[in-house]
Amino acid sequence: MPVPDVSVVVIVYNDADRLPTAVRSVLDQTLHGVEVLIVDDCSTDRSFDVARQLAAAHPDRVRALQLPENSGGCGAPRNHGVQHATGAYVMFLDSDDVLEPNACRNMLEAAERTGADLVSGMCVRVEVDSRHKKQTEWYPWLYSRTRTIESISELPDLLVFDTLSTNKCYRREFLLAAGLVFPVGIHYEDLLFSAQAYVAARRITLIPNHVYFWNVFEKAATKSISNRRHEIANFAHRMEIHRRVDELLEREGLDDLKFHKDVKFLKHDLVLHLRDLPLLDEDYRREFARMANGYLAGIAPEAYERVQRIQAICAYLLAREDWANLMPAVDTLINRDKLSSPLAERDGRIYWCAEHLDDPEGRRVLDVTDAGYHTRSVGKLFLRNQLTAYEDDGQGTVRLAGTVVNPLGKVAPGTPLRGRLELKARRKSLQAFSFPLTSLRIAADGLHWDAELDLARRLRPLGVIDAVWDVRLILDVDGVTTRTRLTVGGVDLDSAHALRVRPRLSRLVSDRVEPATSKRGHLSFVLDAQGKAARRTNDVLRQALRSPAADLAKSGVRKARKAQRDLNSGETKLRVYHEVFSKLPVRKGLVVFESHLGKQYSDSPRAIYEEMRRQGVDFEAVWAYDGKKPEGFPQDATLVKRWSWQYLRALAQAEFWIDNQGFPLRLVKRPETTYIQTWHGSALKRMGFDEPRMKLKTRAAKEDFQKVLDRFDHFLVRSEHDVRTLAGAFRLRDEVLLRSGYPRNDALVATRRAEEASGVRERGPLAEELGIGADKTVLLYAPTFRANPNGSVRGFELPFDVDEFAERFGDRFVLLMRSHYLNNVVLPPSVRGKVIDVTGHHDITPLLQLADGMITDYSSVMFDYALLDRPMLFFAYDYEEYANEARGTYFDLKEKAPGPVLGTAEELFAAIEGLKAADEGHREARRRFTAEFGEYDQGDAARRIVDRFFGGAGAAEEPDSGPAHGGALPGPAVITGSAHSGSSVKGEAHDRA
Amino acid sequence: MTGRDIFIVNNNVDEMGGVTTWSHQMARLFTESGHRVHVVGVVPAPEELRADLGDDLPYTTTTLYDAHPPKAVPAARGIKGRLNIAEQRRRAARQAGMQQQADKLSALFRGARPGGVVIVTQVWAMEWVALADTAGLPVVGMTHESFDACRKSSRFGRVKKYYRGVDRLLALTREDADLWIRQGMDNADFMPNPLPVMPEMPSDRTAKVVASIGRLSDEKGVDLLLDTWAMVAPDHPDWTLRIYGSGDDEDLLKKQAAMLGLDGSVEFMGRTDDVAGALRGASVFAQSSRAEGFPLSLMEAMAGGVPCAAFDCAPGVHEIVRDGEDGLLAVVGNTTELARHIDALISDKELRDRLGTAARENVQRYSTDRILKRWEDLFALLER
Repeated sequence: MPVPDVSVVVIVYNDADRLPTAVRSVLDQTLHGVEVLIVDDCSTDRSFDVARQLAAAHPDRVRALQLPENSGGCGAPRNHGVQHATGAYVMFLDSDDVLEPNACRNMLEAAERTGADLVSGMCVRVEVDSRHKKQTEWYPWLYSRTRTIESISELPDLLVFDTLSTNKCYRREFLLAAGLVFPVGIHYEDLLFSAQAYVAARRITLIPNHVYFWNVFEKAATKSISNRRHEIANFAHRMEIHRRVDELLEREGLDDLKFHKDVKFLKHDLVLHLRDLPLLDEDYRREFARMANGYLAGIAPEAYERVQRIQAICAYLLAREDWANLMPAVDTLINRDKLSSPLAERDGRIYWCAEHLDDPEGRRVLDVTDAGYHTRSVGKLFLRNQLTAYEDDGQGTVRLAGTVVNPLGKVAPGTPLRGRLELKARRKSLQAFSFPLTSLRIAADGLHWDAELDLARRLRPLGVIDAVWDVRLILDVDGVTTRTRLTVGGVDLDSAHALRVRPRLSRLVSDRVEPATSKRGHLSFVLDAQGKAARRTNDVLRQALRSPAADLAKSGVRKARKAQRDLNSGETKLRVYHEVFSKLPVRKGLVVFESHLGKQYSDSPRAIYEEMRRQGVDFEAVWAYDGKKPEGFPQDATLVKRWSWQYLRALAQAEFWIDNQGFPLRLVKRPETTYIQTWHGSALKRMGFDEPRMKLKTRAAKEDFQKVLDRFDHFLVRSEHDVRTLAGAFRLRDEVLLRSGYPRNDALVATRRAEEASGVRERGPLAEELGIGADKTVLLYAPTFRANPNGSVRGFELPFDVDEFAERFGDRFVLLMRSHYLNNVVLPPSVRGKVIDVTGHHDITPLLQLADGMITDYSSVMFDYALLDRPMLFFAYDYEEYANEARGTYFDLKEKAPGPVLGTAEELFAAIEGLKAADEGHREARRRFTAEFGEYDQGDAARRIVDRFFGGAGAAEEPDSGPAHGGALPGPAVITGSAHSGSSVKGEAHDRA
Repeated sequence: MTGRDIFIVNNNVDEMGGVTTWSHQMARLFTESGHRVHVVGVVPAPEELRADLGDDLPYTTTTLYDAHPPKAVPAARGIKGRLNIAEQRRRAARQAGMQQQADKLSALFRGARPGGVVIVTQVWAMEWVALADTAGLPVVGMTHESFDACRKSSRFGRVKKYYRGVDRLLALTREDADLWIRQGMDNADFMPNPLPVMPEMPSDRTAKVVASIGRLSDEKGVDLLLDTWAMVAPDHPDWTLRIYGSGDDEDLLKKQAAMLGLDGSVEFMGRTDDVAGALRGASVFAQSSRAEGFPLSLMEAMAGGVPCAAFDCAPGVHEIVRDGEDGLLAVVGNTTELARHIDALISDKELRDRLGTAARENVQRYSTDRILKRWEDLFALLER
């Protein structure tokens, strides 16, 4: 054979059975010019014989080599193979893995095209023992596209994450010239070799192709202390290799790479080992800490800033060997949403623990204010519950005790407390059993509880399919429920006895239950068969479960489940809505209300509803809500969950639909139903058909969307601006438009008039509820949410320092913070009473009435607040970005804003300082603004609408413009996936259909 | 190596436009460089779309079917499907017919000498090639559209099924190829289309004309171009938008133009056979397609020295046009941005000249020589 294009070095040690498969994957490559060098690390089985047979069968393509003595690693045989290779390129393959058939061709093509020293493709990890041979791509984000880098410093993550040597193709001359060899006599040789190769390579090309299948044979053997010991040795090797790589990077002056590697060490390597700590003994912990801390000392302090807070906290506490605080921290590391520490408040900030706060670095690392723990009630927190005792009587009773963390003393002494333990089958929707607590009290270090569980009598599992039972402590803290899991930690379960149980399917299926620790460190009970009869039954059962009859039964169960799912699926509901509910008679006086897709009881639908109640209209009210429970919705209306059967039926039979955003797009409205679309704000940003992404849609998709909009019989507008913008954007005919103004704004107009008449600003009950003193000026900050170019909501960060605000203005002002409901802002305790988060308030109108001044950016609330004729500040710090974004605006805010448009926090603060001046100087601009954008808001919108549609004896009269549609809508509107996912009328994709 | 037997297999050999045009261009190029080419179509083109190929083709063509075979209908599932005897028979007949035609292909392929290659330009045609005996011949499959366009169509599943086993699957750009690779098509690679013609005289870019050339269909987004033009025209009353092309939407678009008050500034020119002439008479080229593959019209405009303002609707577009260097690209659907670009090209003669000159130069990377060389390299790689 002429010089091969690629030499593949296949190393083998005692793996005779799998070797031929690996070699076959090379010989079957689509690239023909490939040679195989099998290097046997002096196996004690037939490996070398098999290698020689393969060589004999393919004399011109396969060579068999053997090391004189076993090297115990992968380095020596690979080095040996490279020495004997003749190909222009070299690759490595382990005897239990295989190459993707196109791997060599793709690697060669890339290498020759770019002239790279090193080509790397994607490795795929295959879990051979798993049921479906689960495949995991190895660091796919590095391999999302073909790319070539001139130096590893362009892509540090490559060196940091992909430390394999096998998914790569090396120019042989490059290996020789750079003197690259694997280290011998140490584990993790790949880490060092790949790092050296990356650093030495003049050019590296990455290809997204799968090239290497890494077969993992994982027998889920339980880890014993002895293999823990073994792990310590491995950990020592690991640290040594890391040290050598660090030396290499330092030698080459690659500080940035070292930094990335440090970050990864904190994020991944360390975490891997910390996870096991709670289960390990003292000696191991100390040895581990000694080695880890030696290494941690060399990590750049800035690296801590780049990792998740809990990871940094763990590393910090480990370095100080503060086991008391570290163990709970590791619990949070494993269970990210769990709060495992009692926390401490100091100087207006929240810290993970009360210790180490004299150390400036400790303060920095342990500061968890931004996590917002202090703003959440215990009902919204997942608290650590440390098991402190586990005793059983060897028969059927177990006694448990534990301590639930009480963060920041949220559960104050004397708070009414109740609690119970619940055992629930892990496979969901099966049974659950409750056990009372024997004691529960509030102590200094948390909530102590005890319980005695008579499992033998009270736990009644089926016996099959519900083998695992999770344990939860459910606490009722003065009416607020919080659920905790029991963290086993250091409690000894090894000496626990198996207890008796009586499964409902008799003791023949299983007769014992044993405690176990879940992957996340929580207590569970597992059924087991120990008696002879039970064991025999289990064998029979296992056999039976593999039989054709069982398969039939299983598929029957699957079908039944699917049928149930289908029955409640969106498609079925749509069909029933259109084909059944819509055939029922329309019910006179049935009105369905909805606000913001059911998320709130608010806005104009609420104002209309309340006006109807005020006038005593005889009607049947249905309010739609979204979410688990309707909170804050009226008691005197029927409440239906959005998309429930009742909801659909109500909509199908309603005489009126009233909402402010859009009832489900795919529901066709009956011609007998009148749809009053109140809408929820005048537009600054382009809407509907004026939005680029809507223009882009195909004609069919646009026609479908038009059908959705044509459901509106009436559409409320506040000004001719709305007519020019919204009516055009939604292609609404003029007779659909109701120039009534917004009912929700009646209250604002009334407030202004009252104020003008009396000269006094009345503060409603809300001021007191929020604890705002009469001497304070109230400012409302209501920014709009920001989206990424793809439409997803972007995380919101406060564009100014609230602490600075509190310091400068706290004595005169109170700032109400209302972020968009999709954004979350955490206020530190230091601003308590000076800056108040009011995001949770359904209805913004009372907040507007309360605020003496408003700060916004581009939110449509500006159009409403202007009606109050109070000072407005426009904090448009990202104006250029916002205005130039693809969607575009209808007018230039800077030109029309009835208040100063501010670009920086300093300007904002200066404007607050001079709020009076801003007020005076913009009176005229505000008048113009209100005239342009709110000319129809005259304070009687709700009354006019109720008079018109529900006047007289309460029975609805035919609206004088007549129903907008002469006949039935072309029915059922089919909206393509893309159309409906991206186009709820407002343009937010929260609708579901 | 020259003198290869190259089989180009299409849906048909005589359809106007698109892939078929590409096939004949490549067939001619391969022939001129010494290969023996055979263009095969599975079915005759529909009558109304049939092109006259002339009788002087320097290579052979064959069409397998005399008439279009019955359409494939997805089998009815369950017992109902099994009991539908007529449908069962029809399917069996179609299947047998396919094998019969595939055997014709096998016979053709058997006549190839060593070094031969089969190029399948469309996945539908691949269904027949898959049934044929291609022993000894590398098979190259092609997908002549962007990955996204394909994903939205029924072809997506068939590309993954029928092209999985081919020696190379060619997309239009690296970016598209990478997306196919991420779908598990590890044989994916890419091959740009060649530039059809290189006009000797570029446009002098003085005529106050913005040109657009393309079918008048929803996909080509001429409605978006009219929206765009409505933003540009008021500032440049002496400029005209010339829309070349015909299609189903012509009346709709004319109505839209009238509604937007563009009657004076938009001219609907109809279909043209003299693309080079149309481009010579223009100073700016505008493209507002909703979807594209590797748009020939952009390449032609660039070859004519006309700077382009276009929606970046596919990898093929930003592969051809380098934004700011030899043309201007706008986010697809963003008519305001596209209007800004057209306005810039109209207002700034210097910019127009700079981009137009660069365009004519840069588009050379798709010259027939360069593309032919890429094909030869590919054939060589498949032999190694």
